[in-house]
Amino acid sequence: MAGDHMEIEVAEKQLNYNHHGIHEEMLKDEVRTRSYMNAIMQNRHIFKDKVVLDVGCGTGILSMFAAKAGAKHVIGVDMSTIIFKAREIVKVNGLEDKITLIQGKMEEIEMPYPKVDIIISEWMGYFLLYESMLDTVLYARDTYLNKDGLIFPDKATIFVAGIEDGDYKEEKIGFWDNVYGFNYSPLKETALSEPLVDTVEMKAVVTDPTPVLTLDLYTVQPSDLAFSCPFELTARRDDFIHALVAWFDIEFTACHKPIRFSTGPHTKYTHWKQTVFYLKDMLTMLQGEKVECSLQNRPNEKNRRDLDIKIQYRLDTSDPKRQAEGTCLYKMC
Amino acid sequence: MAEAYPRSDSESVSSSDNEADWLDKPGEEDEDEEQEQVTVVSLFDDKVFPDAPSMLAYCKDKFGFDFLGVRDRLDLDFHGCVKLINFVRQSVKGGSTTLPQEITADHLADDSLLIPVLADDALIFCLDELPEPLSGQAAQAQEQGQAAAQVQQASAAGKRPVVDELLQKNAQLQAELEQLARQFTNYRLAVEQTLDKRWGVDDEGEASKTGSAPAEPRHPQKKEEKDESAYYFESYDHTDIHETMIKDEVRTNAYRDFIYANKPLFAGKVVLDIGCGTGILSMFCARAGAARVLAVDNSAILDKARENVFRNGLDGVVTCLRGRIEDVTLPVAQVDVIVSEWMGYCLLYEAMLPSVFFARDRYLKPGGLLVPSHASMWIAPVSDAGYVADNVDWWKDVYGFDMRAMQAGIYTDTRMTVMPPDAVCGGAHAFRMLDLHTAKVEDLVFEDKWQTTLSDKAEGLDGFVVWFDCFFGESREEVVEASLTAKEWAAAGRERVAFTTGPYDTATHWRQGLYLIDKGEAKDDEAGPGKKLVGKIRYAIPDDHARGLNITITWGLEGGDGQAQTWLLH
Repeated sequence: MAGDHMEIEVAEKQLNYNHHGIHEEMLKDEVRTRSYMNAIMQNRHIFKDKVVLDVGCGTGILSMFAAKAGAKHVIGVDMSTIIFKAREIVKVNGLEDKITLIQGKMEEIEMPYPKVDIIISEWMGYFLLYESMLDTVLYARDTYLNKDGLIFPDKATIFVAGIEDGDYKEEKIGFWDNVYGFNYSPLKETALSEPLVDTVEMKAVVTDPTPVLTLDLYTVQPSDLAFSCPFELTARRDDFIHALVAWFDIEFTACHKPIRFSTGPHTKYTHWKQTVFYLKDMLTMLQGEKVECSLQNRPNEKNRRDLDIKIQYRLDTSDPKRQAEGTCLYKMC
Repeated sequence: MAEAYPRSDSESVSSSDNEADWLDKPGEEDEDEEQEQVTVVSLFDDKVFPDAPSMLAYCKDKFGFDFLGVRDRLDLDFHGCVKLINFVRQSVKGGSTTLPQEITADHLADDSLLIPVLADDALIFCLDELPEPLSGQAAQAQEQGQAAAQVQQASAAGKRPVVDELLQKNAQLQAELEQLARQFTNYRLAVEQTLDKRWGVDDEGEASKTGSAPAEPRHPQKKEEKDESAYYFESYDHTDIHETMIKDEVRTNAYRDFIYANKPLFAGKVVLDIGCGTGILSMFCARAGAARVLAVDNSAILDKARENVFRNGLDGVVTCLRGRIEDVTLPVAQVDVIVSEWMGYCLLYEAMLPSVFFARDRYLKPGGLLVPSHASMWIAPVSDAGYVADNVDWWKDVYGFDMRAMQAGIYTDTRMTVMPPDAVCGGAHAFRMLDLHTAKVEDLVFEDKWQTTLSDKAEGLDGFVVWFDCFFGESREEVVEASLTAKEWAAAGRERVAFTTGPYDTATHWRQGLYLIDKGEAKDDEAGPGKKLVGKIRYAIPDDHARGLNITITWGLEGGDGQAQTWLLH
């Protein structure tokens, strides 16, 4: 795994020398940007002469795709000062009369159109929901989307699987047991409670993946984002399980030919990577055995963009040595 | 009590030698009780007297110095008197007097005055022989007065053993006081810890406001405007930054290697660790035998440091204090060694060094050691077509759109990056060496000359790269030549420790500062293999960002017109 890479990124955040670095990372994430491009540009028949709202438009790339796809007008909204860059970009690309960019909160701005035909948005955060803009998208849907209007994308699913991750768990968690000869266990607890955003190799995946949450953007309500889901993971081979890994898939079902992309370990790298939840115990599983789990997620009371996550697991086998049961609490903040 | 605590503690800690003397004294006296002769040395010359009152009378007559008058005017307690004695002795040391016309409370403010100037100063032991102040104040003073009265009676009757007995009693009380002070220190720490814990909860709440710090700031606009310093300290609240630093082996190994290879420098010493973070450097010092380590940090990570110290059984040695070094009250007057990992990007970003200088000037004993002892700054020219293609030219065509607007800042911001060694296209130049024992805050804002000869790799000059080297001298007399790299210096001596953050060695979390030349404005690129470039590099602090840096580099062919560009590091 890209341990070194992660560290450098962490330092970069502290430095924060370039507020726009994140936009560069997102634009350079080809899986993401190309999926949106295809979903929009290959469906000109859907976008032709439509009024489009781009929620959290960033550098304006999705707005420009929509304009190129024949939209009558595109409104891009973003709170960030990146919108000034977006304006420059839209102008040098000769699309300023097709695209209106508004800085502000979706909930507070004045919209030039009372209703829109299509909402496009790249709102997803790590683990889909962390620091996500989904609440804002749902507000825009309920306030501005025409009846029969479309949402791009309109379906999101979170998957979970068990992984063998002994080496890396040792490096990330066990590290704190002995730091230059010192016991650093206070930081170990912190490390265990912080889900790790990193890439997981496919060969590390021990169990079948299981969906734990599916969102239909047309119907989902903000309250649905606090959820609890029991599930089972079935081992595909004899192996240990040190952690659960979560990722999400995104679909544009309104497209003529459905377009989807995944952020899982089985496919190409995205800037979302995967999210790893280390378990207190190591589970020892035989092929075909099941571990009963449940995942509970709720937005933090103080800050809705942070997540409080609880994972419970129970491995019930006839072998008493392998019996395991536990509850782990995590905080994404 | 809060007032008394640092003072009495400073006796026990800052001058362990003296402490031993003080405590051993009664024992010695027991042994040769019979022959015990008190000799009180005059405050102003070498004359000796059998008791304090006669000496003070002599000083009043001969030198016009009224010790008791000053004592009563300033309302001095026992410690105040000790300070007054040492202040006078210090002032007249070596024959010449620097004693002010009128001694004020300010003159006696420094706790270092508790350290006896004269070894075994009998005057200090005889303080309770002196007449009671005119207006009886504190109970302690009254007690002392009574004791003094007894002593006077006793000495009048010529009963020396009674004096000895009282002296012994005095020493005993002293020891008890010290013990109480120590207990109070522990109590204070416990209270502090509890409070910190309670505040820690709030801190977490606050940190979550700027919660984008630990993870990707996907929505940077959410970051609230905050007091810059508060943000600076909060940015160190989270575990990841500390993980990054501890796992930076170049950094941590250097400190470990130096401290463990030079245990005599730490054994029995009082060490101050500024910006201790998780406490790793403090614990290295404790393991190396330090008598006491004061670990100071103003970030919430200090709670973790405290736990770490406790779990490693070093809480008897390492004391964790939360606060800015400028604000905290250290339980000692002076320290023998200051250890700090203060280095920022391009060495001086984050501006922590002035705090280290403050602590050095305020707390470091004369002759004390700073770890590390030296730091040097380097500049080299770079040529890297691949980097320019990925980071500059890429914006010209993003999925068919011109997004050059996103390049803004590319020629005005310092880019922290790890440059491959083959991107360096000329000799590196050390433009500044800081001897940290003597450097001043003024030395951190400067303009230095630099020069380089371009190598064969110089296909086109794309910019400059800046980094620093860090040196761990074993004494403050060590001189490190500016032109020496960390490697050269380390290789020249036995077990010397130094490290570089430059492109020629293992990357560190400091990376290097990359300064890209805006060729749009630049003149024709005449730079090529074999050409000599000369110029200047200037470090300045931006008006609106006290912890940031503005770096201006000028360069040009020797004898020709130079170019200049300024980059920010925010």
